[in-house]
Amino acid sequence: MKHLSRRDFLKLCTNSLLALTGALGVGGLIRYLGYQFDPPPPSEFDIGPAMNYPLNSRTILAHIPAILIHDKKGLRAISLACTHLGCTIEQRNFGFECPCHSSRYDINGKILKGPANRDLQKLRVAELEDGNLHLFTN
Amino acid sequence: MTTPPKHTSKPKTYIYFSRFLIAAFVIIVLLSTMLRRIPTVQASPQIQATSTPSPQATPTFDLQRLEKPVVASDNTEQLKKGSIVYWGICMACHGDRGQGLTEEWKDAFGKEDRNCWSVGCHGYDHPPQGFLIPKDKVIPAVAGMGKLTRFQNAQDLHDFILANMPWWSPGKLTNEESWQVTAYILSLQKVMPTKFELSETNASAIRTQSAVPQPTNDRPALLILTGILTLAGIGLIAQDLRKNKIRFPERPNFFHHLHPPTIPALQARLRYTLGAGGLAVFLCLVLLVTGILEMFYYIPVPEHAAVSIEVITSLVPFGALIRNLHFWSAQALMVVMSIHLLRVVLTGAYARHRRLNYLIGLGMFILVALLDFTGYVLRWDEGIRWALIVGTNLLKTIPWVGNSLYQLAVGGPEPSLSSLERFYTWHIFVLTLGMIILAGWHIFRVRRDGGIAVPAPLQRKDSTRISRFDLVGREVLVMVLAGITLLFVSTLFPAPIERPITQASIDIYNARAPWFFLWVQQLLKLGDPFLWGVAFPTLFLVLLAILPYLLPQTNENENGQWFPRGNRLAQILVIILGLTLIILTLLAILPTTQL
Repeated sequence: MKHLSRRDFLKLCTNSLLALTGALGVGGLIRYLGYQFDPPPPSEFDIGPAMNYPLNSRTILAHIPAILIHDKKGLRAISLACTHLGCTIEQRNFGFECPCHSSRYDINGKILKGPANRDLQKLRVAELEDGNLHLFTN
Repeated sequence: MTTPPKHTSKPKTYIYFSRFLIAAFVIIVLLSTMLRRIPTVQASPQIQATSTPSPQATPTFDLQRLEKPVVASDNTEQLKKGSIVYWGICMACHGDRGQGLTEEWKDAFGKEDRNCWSVGCHGYDHPPQGFLIPKDKVIPAVAGMGKLTRFQNAQDLHDFILANMPWWSPGKLTNEESWQVTAYILSLQKVMPTKFELSETNASAIRTQSAVPQPTNDRPALLILTGILTLAGIGLIAQDLRKNKIRFPERPNFFHHLHPPTIPALQARLRYTLGAGGLAVFLCLVLLVTGILEMFYYIPVPEHAAVSIEVITSLVPFGALIRNLHFWSAQALMVVMSIHLLRVVLTGAYARHRRLNYLIGLGMFILVALLDFTGYVLRWDEGIRWALIVGTNLLKTIPWVGNSLYQLAVGGPEPSLSSLERFYTWHIFVLTLGMIILAGWHIFRVRRDGGIAVPAPLQRKDSTRISRFDLVGREVLVMVLAGITLLFVSTLFPAPIERPITQASIDIYNARAPWFFLWVQQLLKLGDPFLWGVAFPTLFLVLLAILPYLLPQTNENENGQWFPRGNRLAQILVIILGLTLIILTLLAILPTTQL
């Protein structure tokens, strides 16, 4: 066990150095490929003054995508991204249905049928100083 | 130094155990150092709103706000100087936070300085030293959310400042001062990475509307990598490669075809082969790998191509290394291929049954020239503009087929969106695929033709043979040495990039062809473009192609030596061709260096 010949020692050193180079190279590669240049998507949307959304209205905001509900309980927003794999859900008479894998939600975003297993995400809506409603997706 | 046989099995287990330990260590190092999260610059969602009213306007000068701005000491000189230029020239109007000339900012000045329009210094009857600020003109904010939207990136902002600012004396700022101010304004806007020196070669990568992730300094990691590889290279040299016992898989494959059990030592003699062919294969592999990596970031669209290259070289971790490696390997390949061609002709090695392989090699030479040219054009920056126009217009001069060839290459009436897409496809797919096929065929034929040309067995002065282990060992050694050299060159010398081609492009440009086409550029000065730009270079290629068919060749026993008697004519011809190219290239360079 102690008799490591000069040749074997050299070979061991060289091979481990080459392996280390390769490992560092792979590490660098991961960092190279992991770079993100694109800016993060917006998390705040200005959706205009509150009077655009009268009582008992349900307004689809397709660019977010979300639905703004104004009822007796007040203003609230629900994300229209399916909690299963993120497709935008469509309105049905019972509520919403996902066109991709047929998850169903009721009119308030409660899950009715899988494969999704969570309710739709509730989004924060607030009226800011500029007098407009702002919707926050985070 | 003889080890007793009973010990042979034990060191082996020891080696495997140590290897395991090393592997574990390597994984830990890898995880801890390389997977470190890239720190990001704080995005700038909420810069202080421009209209923040100061609740109690101070009656006199707000000296604190009029002080010289403070810049963090670890930032670049450029930014520090920019803060001073901004303070001296821009701040009075554009505000200490870049808010523009708001009421709140006017309040920072003394009372006597707020009535500029009524006392006349900025009014319609301003004295000679004053300047006019029209009352209806809003002095815009230069920082804050939703500001600077008319500028895509730092390059745009710099160009605007250089041409239009300060408003009362446009053009007063030097180019350098404009960069300094740009850097400072973008730091007010909170999109400027720290320790980042703006210049024409990276400013397009810095957006005005959202911060880019803070670039990190790759150099230490790079030096460590190069150092380790160098140590490994020393280790390889120190080993006696001939006694290496690398295990080969039982089933023979293409690799075995390239590495027969033994080959004559003469075929691996560096002073005969110059190692050029093997080196070319290595460079091609480097080009393939780095090229694939570049494809992850390169965007082949005119507005984005040069910008994406600036992103690779100045922001992406190790991106500059990847691009420099790709660039320098391509340049080296051109040189190495030329040396290889010269070696083959000057030793007469292309004779008889090897002449097909000679033609394949020549075909690869053409492909590499085209790859170099298309790759060069993919930069789509100011540096390539004229080479692109000249290169494609040359195609048009070819009788009968010229216009069709132009269509094929450019894909439209003039270089534009579709041409970049075409050049991209030619470069990364068609030419590369052709290159892979020809290269595979070429090295296959080398062995099929009996290896590198050496005398028949009975006529050899040196009849020793080397094993495939030795051959592989030598190849690894050459690759490691070439790799170290490439890494060093790529760390020290950046590949060229200039500002993107835009509508508003200015009249400063580099009209020089890439170095490997300088000789064509020189020829084109002589007159008719078809004759000198197309026919003449084609004649060169034809002359090279007919060497093994029409000119006297060496005979079998002249193989394996330099300057054999049999093909003297071909040697003279190639030397004349080579000298012509070198002289033409020098002529193309000289006039500008004399100026």
